[in-house]
Amino acid sequence: MNRRLVTTLAGAVVASCLASTPARAGVEIQIFPPSWFIATARPVYYEGHASYWYGNRWHYRDGGRWRSYNDEPSNLHEYRGRREPERHYYEREHERRHWEHDRDR
Amino acid sequence: MRFLRLTGLAMVFGFGLSAAAAYAQAPSPTAGGAPAASASPAEDQAGLELKEHHRHHHHGGVTKFIAMSLDTLGTDDAKRPQIEKLQSDLHAEMAGAREAEKSVLLTLADGIAAGTVDAAKVDAAIAKLTAAADGVHGASLDTLNKLHAILSPPERAALADKVEAHWEVWHQSNNEADPAGREHGGRLARLTEEVGLTPDQVTKMSAALHAAPAGGSAKFDPQKGEAHVKAFATAFVGDTFDAKAVTSNANGQLASRGATRMAHFYETVTPLLTPEQRTKLAANLREHANYQPSPSAK
Repeated sequence: MNRRLVTTLAGAVVASCLASTPARAGVEIQIFPPSWFIATARPVYYEGHASYWYGNRWHYRDGGRWRSYNDEPSNLHEYRGRREPERHYYEREHERRHWEHDRDR
Repeated sequence: MRFLRLTGLAMVFGFGLSAAAAYAQAPSPTAGGAPAASASPAEDQAGLELKEHHRHHHHGGVTKFIAMSLDTLGTDDAKRPQIEKLQSDLHAEMAGAREAEKSVLLTLADGIAAGTVDAAKVDAAIAKLTAAADGVHGASLDTLNKLHAILSPPERAALADKVEAHWEVWHQSNNEADPAGREHGGRLARLTEEVGLTPDQVTKMSAALHAAPAGGSAKFDPQKGEAHVKAFATAFVGDTFDAKAVTSNANGQLASRGATRMAHFYETVTPLLTPEQRTKLAANLREHANYQPSPSAK
């Protein structure tokens, strides 16, 4: 009885190890949008949250965490087809305004 | 025999537990934590320009982060004129602090052009900037309430995210970054691009910045900035909002810290620049001094 229990337990543990290792190897490490990106990118509002196109994927904040769409929603895909996701360039913008200011004087 | 079998079982069990623990710690394929500026991938051009902006413009503290967040909030076209008006109002409420910042930048520019920065004059200008920035929070309460009223819940959440993102970039650029660091996107790297520093100049400047720690750094408490940002972000995503209830005000402290660190950098590197480089750098700072935000809500 004891031997059977030990064998069963050992089998279960080995099976769980074998099952978990390939699963871990298959994990895709994602990079979520960094602060400098969030601060300079215009989001697209979809399903009640602001979505950001970053690293070839749409990301959104869900409470305190970032999440991503593994499959691109068709609406967001269409949006990308119509319009390039916009960024704000602070120095370039500053130079442009400065040039306009000089021109209008 | 029984001992061997039990030992083997314990080893297998241990291996299983460690494998399970490692798997539990692996990042999820679909979710992650808050973005961290220090661990983020290298900035692209827009990110580098944002850092450069935050290294030179501190006049409104957290209120400036709010106004800047409207640049990229992405509201619908129908709301845009109203958002632009509120953004313009926020800039008007920061005008006094912006003028004080202009004075700091022009004092630095004059000193750089002359070859010596008058530190006492710069400190006096920074004191005026700090006082002016401190008053910005109180001056902007009505505008912030109007902004909350006009935005939808997802837009409020996005604004809160952006304010937190600006704070992280500002904090990284003006507090965490090594003042003498030569990393890509840092002050020295940017100055190298701006005026064409030689490797020898970079080495000497880095050593000088290491040897002369920034004045006032000991007084800066980033937790105050963090508290102001969190208090605003938490309150702003709610269904009701009263800006008066956000009692934290780190605007003056942020302005003081940012301007002091900026001044220390330029005061330290100026003696190591050639006359041509000083002329170029002074012109660049005068451009920053003449920074005129205009509504650009997108």
